[in-house]
Amino acid sequence: MKMLLFEIKKILSRPLSRFVLLALAAVLVFCTFMTVNDVRYTDSQGVTHTGPGAARQLHDQMSQWSGYVTSDLLARVVTENNRINSTPQALSSDVTENNKAYSLTQGFSDIREYINQAFSGQTDYDYYRIDSVSPQEAGQIYERRISNMEEYLNSSEAGRMSAPQKDFLLSQYKALETPLYYEPAIGWNALLDSAYMPTLIMITVLITGFLVSGIFSGEFQMKSDAILFSSRLGRSRAVLSKIAAGLITTTAVYWAAVLLFSAAVLILLGAGGGGCAIQTGFGYWESFYNITFIQEFLITVLGGYVGTLFIAGASMAVSALSRSTVLAVTVPFILVALPFFIGRIDLLAPVTGLFPDQLLQISAITDDISLVYQVGGIVTGSIPLLFIIYGILFLALMPVLYRIYSRAEIR
Amino acid sequence: MELKTNKLTKRFGDITAVNSVSLSMTGGVYGLLGENGAGKTTLMRMLCTLMSPTEGSITLEGRDIFKMDSDYRSLLGYLPQDFGFYPEFTVKDYLMYISSVKGLRPAVAAKRVKGLIHATGLSKVAYRKMKKLSGGMKRRAGIAQAMLNDPKILILDEPTAGLDPNERIRFRNLISEISGNRTVLLSTHIVSDVEYIANEILLMKNGSIIQKGSSEALIASMPQRVWKCSVEKSFVPDLAARYRVSNIRSEKNLAEMRVLSAEMPVPGAVETEPVLEDVFLYYFGEKAGDEDALI
Repeated sequence: MKMLLFEIKKILSRPLSRFVLLALAAVLVFCTFMTVNDVRYTDSQGVTHTGPGAARQLHDQMSQWSGYVTSDLLARVVTENNRINSTPQALSSDVTENNKAYSLTQGFSDIREYINQAFSGQTDYDYYRIDSVSPQEAGQIYERRISNMEEYLNSSEAGRMSAPQKDFLLSQYKALETPLYYEPAIGWNALLDSAYMPTLIMITVLITGFLVSGIFSGEFQMKSDAILFSSRLGRSRAVLSKIAAGLITTTAVYWAAVLLFSAAVLILLGAGGGGCAIQTGFGYWESFYNITFIQEFLITVLGGYVGTLFIAGASMAVSALSRSTVLAVTVPFILVALPFFIGRIDLLAPVTGLFPDQLLQISAITDDISLVYQVGGIVTGSIPLLFIIYGILFLALMPVLYRIYSRAEIR
Repeated sequence: MELKTNKLTKRFGDITAVNSVSLSMTGGVYGLLGENGAGKTTLMRMLCTLMSPTEGSITLEGRDIFKMDSDYRSLLGYLPQDFGFYPEFTVKDYLMYISSVKGLRPAVAAKRVKGLIHATGLSKVAYRKMKKLSGGMKRRAGIAQAMLNDPKILILDEPTAGLDPNERIRFRNLISEISGNRTVLLSTHIVSDVEYIANEILLMKNGSIIQKGSSEALIASMPQRVWKCSVEKSFVPDLAARYRVSNIRSEKNLAEMRVLSAEMPVPGAVETEPVLEDVFLYYFGEKAGDEDALI
């Protein structure tokens, strides 16, 4: 235990470590601020507000439309939408007047989007599509969702998919429980739909990579290796302590960042609607994962953790093998940035869906229907595969790391 | 407790750093004398299991030390030539950490650390960061860590490097005090470090042990005699080219030289008692004009 505490002290006592942790704190505050202020509400005077106050007002308006999204509710939305569109404010050429009209639509804006997405088709989107939908047709959104998918799967755009993959997507779409239950989920949407959660997770990965990159190589660089390896426990328990210190540091930093961010956003914007299907959220209508917001949140943060552990483990392994902190610290950067370049090559694009950086942005890939993989006779989305692949790789990496370091020779 | 090497060899590519060294150490202080690059550090690293030999073996009481693994290392204390530490740790932190790596229980470690801090004169700086210590204090901290587990085998590689004369004397006395019933192997290229404290001196050159014995035995076995002679300064280069010179002292127009030679080198030269440094010069010294000679 003492050894472990000293190893953690070695990591945190470096002046540069304290600096990067401060930087992470600054990033955390920034991401929280930006996420919270991304929420907008336009009042009846046409003035736009942002932040927690806006979220409260938005929540009050949206709550009036809570309930099961049935044909009746959809018809009411279309009717109300048409009514607002014909008001003088909506028809005015004055932007402020238009905003006043817009403010009346905020309450049903989420439901409005289901209609737009269902009637636009799988690959298109028209913000004004609802204007040409009748109250009677509006109730067909669930059937349309399925038929849109069928049409897509039969088109050339889905040409790369195998028959089992197509069957999988269709069956997932059909398995969605309808009618959907709607409740405003402003906090969850802000948390999961914004770019800030993946950004925060990626920066956390880079910082934890920096913190752990010198755990093994540092002994060689500081020339303390000779004493370490000539000591009784230097090739056994000391190595385990180093691995444990790296993992504990990674775990503590990751969860502190992610949980503080999530807690702040949900406290400021509200945590209601967590039990609703993600398809009720903006941008998730086409997702084939039949999960709730809370489930998506858990998968996102757990996926980020698995990804962070794997990348930190890889950094530590490079640190032990190369004896270079500089080389080890580049590992997270490479693993996070490489897919960006490789993904531009058409042939390799499907492979990038299984790169470890995907674990850091699960909320961004949940609605990507191209990320479906077939392994033997089993078809699944990329998310379960990512957990399995990198969970196994991480567990396999640890004994390899132990072996590399415990057998090191000093030249 | 016999620590033995049997035809121990280490090669790095084409270079043979240690060449078929066979030694037996059974307690006491052993001085390993040799120039830079003689193979002393490589030999010591193998004795500390930091690298494996290319050929040969190292045994303790007949057991291969690499197979003994942590059992052997629990008996070992090592101060390397390049002594590295953790700059942000205090002296006490550092010693407590090394105690844990050496497997000492916390209560035992606390007591040992306290005692060694006192014994090595580091009491006043116990809470100072390692990076703020002077060279001598760092070395003392290095000795302290080597002694934490009360080792039966203590290996010190150039322990007095960078120390001033006072520190070196203090260090010699400390080694003498602690040598007790241990085996201490101390490598150096400074003769005075081992002259008075080593029970046996091993001379190492080009990876091989070329001579070994007590200080007196080595001096007695040297085939050349030592002469003091006063010559005009103009004769110094000629003498330096013909003989090994251990000392030159200038006095006005004359130079007093200490010269190794089987016969009287110049008329008027006075034979004097050889010392270990003369033996070192005999085996490792250069004549002026030799390749790589300094003069």
